[in-house]
Amino acid sequence: MNSKNPDSDVLVEFRDVHFAYGDRPILKGVNLTIPRGKVTAILGPSGTGKTTLLNFIGGRLHPDRGDVIVDGLSVPRLGLKQLYALRKRMGMLFQSGALLTDINVFENIAFPVREHCRLPEPVLRNLVLLKLEMVGLRGARQLMPSELSGGMARRVALARAIVLDPMLVMYDEPFAGLDPISMAVIVKLIGEVNDALGISSVVVTHDVAEAYAIAHYMYLVADGRIIAQGTPEELQASQQIQVRQFMDGLPDGPVPYHYPAAAYEDDLLRGGLD
Amino acid sequence: MRLFTLIGGGVIARVSRLGRASVFLYRVFLGGWQIFTRPSLLVHQIYAVGVLTLTIILVAGLFVGMVLSFQGYNTLVDFGAESSLGLMVALSLTRELGPVLAALLFAGRAGSALTAEIGLMKATQQLAGMEMMAVNPIERVVAPRFFAGFFSLTLLAALFTAVGVFGGHFIGVTVLGVDAGVFWSSMQEGVDFNDDIVSGIVKSIVFGFVVTWIAVFEGYDAVPTAEGVSRATTRTVVNASLAVLALDFILTSLMFGDV
Repeated sequence: MNSKNPDSDVLVEFRDVHFAYGDRPILKGVNLTIPRGKVTAILGPSGTGKTTLLNFIGGRLHPDRGDVIVDGLSVPRLGLKQLYALRKRMGMLFQSGALLTDINVFENIAFPVREHCRLPEPVLRNLVLLKLEMVGLRGARQLMPSELSGGMARRVALARAIVLDPMLVMYDEPFAGLDPISMAVIVKLIGEVNDALGISSVVVTHDVAEAYAIAHYMYLVADGRIIAQGTPEELQASQQIQVRQFMDGLPDGPVPYHYPAAAYEDDLLRGGLD
Repeated sequence: MRLFTLIGGGVIARVSRLGRASVFLYRVFLGGWQIFTRPSLLVHQIYAVGVLTLTIILVAGLFVGMVLSFQGYNTLVDFGAESSLGLMVALSLTRELGPVLAALLFAGRAGSALTAEIGLMKATQQLAGMEMMAVNPIERVVAPRFFAGFFSLTLLAALFTAVGVFGGHFIGVTVLGVDAGVFWSSMQEGVDFNDDIVSGIVKSIVFGFVVTWIAVFEGYDAVPTAEGVSRATTRTVVNASLAVLALDFILTSLMFGDV
């Protein structure tokens, strides 16, 4: 594990984080901690700011108020050089994979290594093949990203995210849009990678069953706050109405089915005179 | 009142965009050291931006030179001044048509491609992915493209002019029968290195800088959607073309305004 402060049990800490996109508040005082060596899932409906939390950890966004501490460092206060040094110790799996489309699978995984290290070509080759073997795609190394299925692209992106042996891997909606087999493969890989490499993982998702399968600890985000947290069993047992709506996938509840609007009758009687 | 709000809003938006573009340019220059430590990045982009634009530049230069020669001959022959055909073709190309038309063609061919490429990299999160791999996309993606475009256009404009002169020679000498010695000697006597050639080079350097700046900025600043990238590409061609024509007027006034 590539950590500089391994004695602390907490790898990431959000302290009273507030954030708004323009006038639209996204986070209204989020406090959460991500422990070392575990898989932490952050769940919540779409548009509640889950990905924004990952962007804070990676320093791509800064909170309006509050602090984000990663491995003892306050991310919003880091200079560009320190931030880039911290990012070398993180990996991120984007929802789209974010593979570089003009180079093949092998070169995509070799990309961060070539950018940051000067390894002899045979060593680099073995390192890339090792990571590809982990995700089961050693045979696909010559394929271009356009030739990969959605699930394969995500596995390649995972191999790239772990090629520098990071202390933390962030997964942004890793299960979205995958067929059941690919989804099962990704679920298996997240757990295996976390255990085999001794890293910490943060999984942002709205797929409840998959999160249950891999997470050691879960946070549920809604309306800009953490509304529930605990082990999968604790969240499963929660009777909180907001938790139940999300976990059981109910179409109506505290998160309303209808987008806020004027009364239906009024709208119809206006005859299109908006 | 609403009109003032609209005008004010538009002005503020444009000034803020210009500010963003200036900060972006500063960051590109800061990231420019990559082209010295990793020249292969620059060479690759010079191929993509410059070499692949050669065909359109050479073909257009040839035709422009031939048309100039036809039109020039028809006008000059009425005054018995067809011996100045070489001079007329050369001056038109070195001072104006070479830099301006090469820049307009470059904006359409390479500028739009640069914007679309960078914009699509943004839309598909490739730039964000690089940032998270601790690779600065301005250093790794934008700076090599910017300097490649800047160097390439200067050379492409010179090639446009050279090929245009040969096109003019072909029509003037081979087709219309102007004496070859007269064609070249009028050019040799009338074209001044400092006044004509250097002014053309200065223009192409300025155009190369502005066109490539607009192209890479529009790509980097594009709204990361299909429509956003499409609009950014259109803006590159329109803004770069207008900037080239406006700057050409300003530079010509400065260089030749007192004659």
